[in-house]
Amino acid sequence: MAVKDFWKRHENLYFAVSNKKVILGVTVFLAIVALAIFGPMVTPYDYEEFAGRGYQPPSKEHWFGTTIMGRDVFTQVVFGLRSTLLVGFLAGTIASAIGLVVGFVSGFFSGKAPDEGLMALTNIFMVIPSLTLLIILSAYLPYRGIATQAIIVAATAWPWTARAVRSQTLSLKSQEFVNLSRISAAPTFRIIREDIAANMFSYVFMVYILQFNGTILSSVGLEFLGLGPTRGISLGLVLQNAVNWNALHLGMWWWTIIPGLILTLMIVSLYFINTGLDEVFNPRLREM
Amino acid sequence: MKARWIVLAVVLSLALGSTAALAAERYETLIVGGGTWSAATSWNPLYPNNTNGTVGLVYETLFGYDPLTNQHKPWLAEEGKWISDDVYEVKLRPGIYFSDGQPLTAVDVVFTYELARDNNLTYSPIWRTLKEVKALNLDTVQFVFENPSYQEWQIELYSRAILPKHIWKDVPGEDLMVIANDNPVGSGPYKKLLAGPDRNVWVRDDNWWGNKVFGQPKPKEIVDMIIYENNVALGMLMQRTLDLSNYFIPGVPAIKNLYGLTTWFDGPPYMLPANVAMLILNVNRPPLDDAQFRRALAFAVNPQTIVERVFENMVPLCDSTGLFGGWTAYRDAEVAEKHGFWYDPAIASQMLDEAGYVDLDGDGWRDMPDGSAIQFEIIVPAGWTDWMESIRIIAEAFRAIGVNANPAFPDQALYEQRMQTGNFDMLINNYGSGISGSPYSYWNWVANHNIHREYVTEGNFGRYDNQELFDLIFEFNQLPPLSDESLAVASKIQEILLVDMPSIPFWLNGMWAQMTSQYWTNWPTEDNPIGRPCSWGNQWQFGAIDMLINLQPAR
Amino acid sequence: MGRYLTRKLIIYIITFLFAVTLNWAVPRFAPGDPIKMLLSRFEVMEGGKDILESFFVKTFGLDRSPLQQYVGFWRSLFAGDLGVSISQYPKSVFNIIRGAIIYDFIILLPAIILSWIIGNKLGAFSGVNKKADNFLMPVFYFLTSSPYFWFALVISYVFGIVLGLFPTSHAYSATMRPGWTLAFIWDFFLHWFMPFLSLFLVQLGGWAIGMRNMIIYETNTNYAKYMESLGATERLIRNYGFRNGILPQVTGLAISLGTIVSGAVLTQMVFSYPGLGYLMVQAIKQNDYFLIQGCFLFLIIMVLLANFVIDIIYMFIDPRVRHSYSGEV
Repeated sequence: MAVKDFWKRHENLYFAVSNKKVILGVTVFLAIVALAIFGPMVTPYDYEEFAGRGYQPPSKEHWFGTTIMGRDVFTQVVFGLRSTLLVGFLAGTIASAIGLVVGFVSGFFSGKAPDEGLMALTNIFMVIPSLTLLIILSAYLPYRGIATQAIIVAATAWPWTARAVRSQTLSLKSQEFVNLSRISAAPTFRIIREDIAANMFSYVFMVYILQFNGTILSSVGLEFLGLGPTRGISLGLVLQNAVNWNALHLGMWWWTIIPGLILTLMIVSLYFINTGLDEVFNPRLREM
Repeated sequence: MKARWIVLAVVLSLALGSTAALAAERYETLIVGGGTWSAATSWNPLYPNNTNGTVGLVYETLFGYDPLTNQHKPWLAEEGKWISDDVYEVKLRPGIYFSDGQPLTAVDVVFTYELARDNNLTYSPIWRTLKEVKALNLDTVQFVFENPSYQEWQIELYSRAILPKHIWKDVPGEDLMVIANDNPVGSGPYKKLLAGPDRNVWVRDDNWWGNKVFGQPKPKEIVDMIIYENNVALGMLMQRTLDLSNYFIPGVPAIKNLYGLTTWFDGPPYMLPANVAMLILNVNRPPLDDAQFRRALAFAVNPQTIVERVFENMVPLCDSTGLFGGWTAYRDAEVAEKHGFWYDPAIASQMLDEAGYVDLDGDGWRDMPDGSAIQFEIIVPAGWTDWMESIRIIAEAFRAIGVNANPAFPDQALYEQRMQTGNFDMLINNYGSGISGSPYSYWNWVANHNIHREYVTEGNFGRYDNQELFDLIFEFNQLPPLSDESLAVASKIQEILLVDMPSIPFWLNGMWAQMTSQYWTNWPTEDNPIGRPCSWGNQWQFGAIDMLINLQPAR
Repeated sequence: MGRYLTRKLIIYIITFLFAVTLNWAVPRFAPGDPIKMLLSRFEVMEGGKDILESFFVKTFGLDRSPLQQYVGFWRSLFAGDLGVSISQYPKSVFNIIRGAIIYDFIILLPAIILSWIIGNKLGAFSGVNKKADNFLMPVFYFLTSSPYFWFALVISYVFGIVLGLFPTSHAYSATMRPGWTLAFIWDFFLHWFMPFLSLFLVQLGGWAIGMRNMIIYETNTNYAKYMESLGATERLIRNYGFRNGILPQVTGLAISLGTIVSGAVLTQMVFSYPGLGYLMVQAIKQNDYFLIQGCFLFLIIMVLLANFVIDIIYMFIDPRVRHSYSGEV
């Protein structure tokens, strides 16, 4: 197969790999993922170990410096990054899944009983102050691991997705090819799967990115309030510790700024990918 | 646009109320923080969770207590003594009066105690041994006991706020703990000025009776700020918007000189001790039911690591007996020498080997003699960062001698529930080990007898059951302070606690205090030991008033 | 139109009942008895704790069955009685909340409204101006991506401690007494500024991005092209785009209100600024049933009310809504 044919068939992919925002976003994100994957292998320390003297700025021995007690910040960051990515992955997946299913179903049956019920539920979850609910929920689970945290965060993150997906489904539903399938008496499930879902793939992907970001930020907020995982380490916990131990006031900028920047960069990079993909999937935007 | 400003103005006016603005001079205002964690509740001294400052600033006690010298300081009382085995006589100072001008006399003292006789109040149990309180004349009160609890009385003397009878006599019995007492009338040097959601403000009573006796407190106003996080407190110290901080603030040794902060000691341990941090062992969980095992654990930990790493040398180590401050008068050096513990993992291992706790299945961890695995969880509340780090070190030390122990951080509510219901292996706690006028309070907390119930709230969370020890503690309470008999009983108590080791005292939590000198100087320190820089609740009578009197405005 | 509002109202009532019930039940079936927690920290005479405990159990009616407690809860709620706090006994929950909630309004209202307005304007500007976009978009993304408390802390440290421009904590200076004086208002403003600024900036990013994308999308739609070919000015097209783009932004505001209100918790923690959020975190840590209930109730009511207002506004700015309930879109 000729290269040209390949690109012609996968037009979107071509625009994706040639979109500057996507390239930049993917590069940064992959770099951070690489840090999470290889960092723990590279570092000679354990994240709970007293690796050296306290208050040490970045140096050859301690790339990101040390904490007040002499733990290695680099080690904490790379291990923490793993859990944070995992939370984002788990919570983002759960929240997207719930949101998509609820949105699809209620959009497909718009105006009928399932739609009414699901949308009422969605609205309920939407107006309940999410962090508040998270605080209440997480305060009563004895020990919280990463999975628990992901579920808690996801539980309050899905409503907007459900609403957005519902309206997308609505607009797709009224398009002609769906009506054709209906006329041909195709089973409901097949219509959803083959026509609507397939056409929404790009949309789903972007929803997922937004959920990934949102859930990570929610979990970091919870961790700051001391309601994060009760064991292990995560970027939010690194930051919470830095705050609790007065890192910034004591001049240990490396302990506060570096983990926060990495987290921010990671989320920004995903937003870049998101915006870039938006341009890819909506050809009209490419002219910008 | 205009409408929005009107809304804002209305909102503002609601927030500000109608009180007139009156900016007090900064040099006459003392700003403290560390003793108050929520907005003011009540100013009712009969309710134990009253607003910080209610007892001490507004209401006064018969005696103060100086933990540094272990002396009771005559306050409302001019003197007090046992005139016979069963009768304690208090002579009040002449010319004491409440802030409304009414005199404070023996009648008020009698009233305060009879209130507890006739109603259910937190100090009603005193009437188990107290038989009568009588006013001989306006200045003299006699407490007539039957088998008095001498040790508990030592604590009672500086704990009970004396209430004005002319005000409280009209309060119905069932309301005594209920009322908020919004306009407290006490005999103390300060009056309530206002209470906001983030602060309590006290204003000096310039007509305080004590001005002539002790001298006048210097700050015209005391503002007790509610500060949610210790990093905020540090920021305020740096900005000089806080004069006295009673928070645990990491890094103080590192930046003390840079930011001109004063601490009690200029160098390590910087802070005065406030209470004992104990590792409490659940003796109902094998092998923690074995005293040999428990003692071995004590040898395994190097508390110096905790002191250096976690607290940056801001706390001192603790004696094996747990006794510190005034309590050391009861310390039996011989017993401590013979049964004390120190850091030596070799001894710990040897003790465990001897007792038969060896690794039977070759997984690297010691097992029970019957082959079942040993595994412990050490808990402290999530978010209590210094303790979280401490138990990481302790767990590490246990693992180093082959005892499989891991730290865990449940939320505070769960931690307390597990502590009170005996559903834990080990934990750190200090709720009842605070400095006091008698080691009775410490021992009665470490080895409280009241353990055969679902929820244990008075101490001895590990539910260590030793009737002989309980009897000794009871007996100790009934012996005159520092009498030969009391010393002898105290030795036995120390011996049992060391030999059986139901809980292990590791370090002394600090009476955290950082002071700035921009607005106030002459802080109490090691070189100027007048008063105690502490704004914690129910500790104003521990020398904080003396501090207020001796402070000097910096201008 | 009436149908639309009725429906919304029913949804809100259901939400309210559901949320309040949930919030009543969760603390009660969670571990940690609030009274025992309170007791364990009191230092009172031996035997004094038993006296206190029976006093509390009676006072709070916790010896009744859960069903009785639940019925009693609704009954007193309709009588306007939120009960008495356990951890801050004997203060009534209503009074505690009243003392704090005003500070939530003072920070939240301006931050939400201004960030929404300015965010939308900036976003629209960025959407049509490619040069500005290259600079502004990453800034917006940075603002919306940084963990809020981290961002607030850095602001507080830089502006408060390093530059010394603003006080780092509390609602007003310790030496100030509330009143309508210029000195107090200025002092209050200085304390208010950083909590406001941090919330404002973080939200600004999100709104700006939303509007930017919307504008780009709208200016590339067929109708815009059509108008262009008819010779409409760029400005006119942009205005149409803005008007269409603002609709989803209003919906977005409604959706995110809950999150924003909750976000105030973090502001209060970082700046030790009074408010409901901190109150609630404290209440939860002490398992103070009545205070948790009260705070939650107020938050829900605030969010529901705001949503309702937005629904009504939406009805006026988008005529389609009025029709959407009489037939399929």
